[in-house]
Amino acid sequence: MKLLTHNLLSSHVPGLRPGGGFPLRIELGRPSELPPEPSPGYEADEEFLRRLHHVLLEVEVLEGSLQCPDSGRRFPISRGVPNLLLSEDEA
Amino acid sequence: GMAEAEAAGDAGLGPAAAQDGAELAAVIGATVPTGFEQTAAEEVREKLGSASRISKDRGKIYFEVPARSLPQVHRLRSVDNLFVVVQEFKDYQFKENKEDALKDLEDLVKTLPWTDPLKVWELNNSLKKKKTKRKKHNLQSPASRGKLSDAGEEGGADQNNTNDQEDCAQNPVAMEPTGGQDKENPQGVTSRNGVEEEEEDNEQSEVKAEVQASSESGSKADEGQTGEGEAKVLRFRVTCNRAGDKHSFTSNEAARDFGGAVQEHFQWKADMTHFDVEVLLNIHSNEVVVGIALTEESLHRRNITHFGPTTLRSTLAYGMLRLCDPQPTDIIVDPMCGTGAIPIEGAAEWPCCYHIAGDNNPQAVKRAANNISSLLRKNESKDSSTALGVPLDVIQWDICRLPLRTGSVDIVVTDMPFGKRIGSKKKNWDLYPACLMEMGRICTPGTGRAVLLTQDKKCFAKALSRVGHIWRRAQTVWVNVGGLHAAVYLLRRTSEPAQDTRPFW
Repeated sequence: MKLLTHNLLSSHVPGLRPGGGFPLRIELGRPSELPPEPSPGYEADEEFLRRLHHVLLEVEVLEGSLQCPDSGRRFPISRGVPNLLLSEDEA
Repeated sequence: GMAEAEAAGDAGLGPAAAQDGAELAAVIGATVPTGFEQTAAEEVREKLGSASRISKDRGKIYFEVPARSLPQVHRLRSVDNLFVVVQEFKDYQFKENKEDALKDLEDLVKTLPWTDPLKVWELNNSLKKKKTKRKKHNLQSPASRGKLSDAGEEGGADQNNTNDQEDCAQNPVAMEPTGGQDKENPQGVTSRNGVEEEEEDNEQSEVKAEVQASSESGSKADEGQTGEGEAKVLRFRVTCNRAGDKHSFTSNEAARDFGGAVQEHFQWKADMTHFDVEVLLNIHSNEVVVGIALTEESLHRRNITHFGPTTLRSTLAYGMLRLCDPQPTDIIVDPMCGTGAIPIEGAAEWPCCYHIAGDNNPQAVKRAANNISSLLRKNESKDSSTALGVPLDVIQWDICRLPLRTGSVDIVVTDMPFGKRIGSKKKNWDLYPACLMEMGRICTPGTGRAVLLTQDKKCFAKALSRVGHIWRRAQTVWVNVGGLHAAVYLLRRTSEPAQDTRPFW
């Protein structure tokens, strides 16, 4: 799973507040290599853009989980594929 | 001269002829998924600069290119098979009497302008040889993509094609029994893009007929189909497709007699399974086209190495994607991706878009992921220095409860479950409206669009009528998928914002 995909995902556990469930927390145990905020003028910063492109599109989470920030429900990522199916009684 | 050389059994071809061949203007015929002739013509215009003629014989387009453009022609993504035209007859008058009609076809052979098309065929052969020599598979090369590893079969196809043998011989992996061509059901109901359906009394059979003049037992023992025509006698077969209700003969008979005359004229050897030259005789009412095949395997399965029960042809996937006109940076989602035919085609051809594939079925998800890894490996071997990520991800999810943010997606493209092939008609009744609602929610209001393939047209129309505030029907393409009549709907997302609370049914 790439970071760009993660940007589009949101938890769909029923009963969340409007707008809830995003962003899912990635649990990996490895700190991010990027600064927490893009610095002003980042569009022109070639070096930054390169690192951003790399982390968005070329880094894959292979094993780990995604945690819903509101309900705490965890969704596993296995072999690069996140499983976001809810069980019968959850849905 | 050339004519004598041909008659003498040597097609008069060799490396020198191959070079001349490059300068020739070749008229190429291409078979494409029925309904997507226009899309294919646009791709030809865009990539080759040529205008196409769309034939009345559905699923075929014709265009002219210099023979040296053959490599680009092979890279067309909307094309299933290619042939070089020997001659076209727009209004061929068939005699009413069977013997006379067949005799006319036999007599036709020696009058046809074979020389230049055979040069093109020879040039095409030398291209094929180069490709198969390359160990590393080029993503672009259809010949190498045509060779596939294992897997499942295409199930549930209601085929009218009784002759499977040829396919088995050519294609070790069980694929669509048709070997690539669209088949229409025996009732012959045909229709074109949204225009009224016409009933056509249409007997269409694809028959590979063996020429009776020579018996084949010996030829199977032959190995080394080298295609080096100069020293060896070429082996050939004739394939006839016939459609229309006024012919006094069958495609079998036409292929047999035409083939007899071809054998007589060139002194080639007839061989059903190990042939160098495949002569095509396409008869559609009064339109007759004689051609020589340039592809031997279908290009459909080019990106897929792991099949599922209903894997979509990549040429059809390409046509569907083209229909929604993807723009750079568009997010394209297939929420019922199966083995991933559509997103994989998408990522290969529209790398400036971002593709997300999802399915609820763990097998499908696994196969899709495997197909993507294969794609990655192909990319790596081609370009060792930078293994660029493929802009494609796979997720396991439920189509009715997509874990995607509202309005975050530009395009939804998918092959909806067909009642007959997977799932059931009753399930579709409930599923379709739920799908359309969820797809509407994730799609960007105003600019978003969806391209949906389904055979369950009634159910779809009903579901669509309930979501008119979210989706507008923009275009319908009638297609044929594994013998079933299906439709591809292009929908546009209205400006109405989606509600953030998931609807319950």
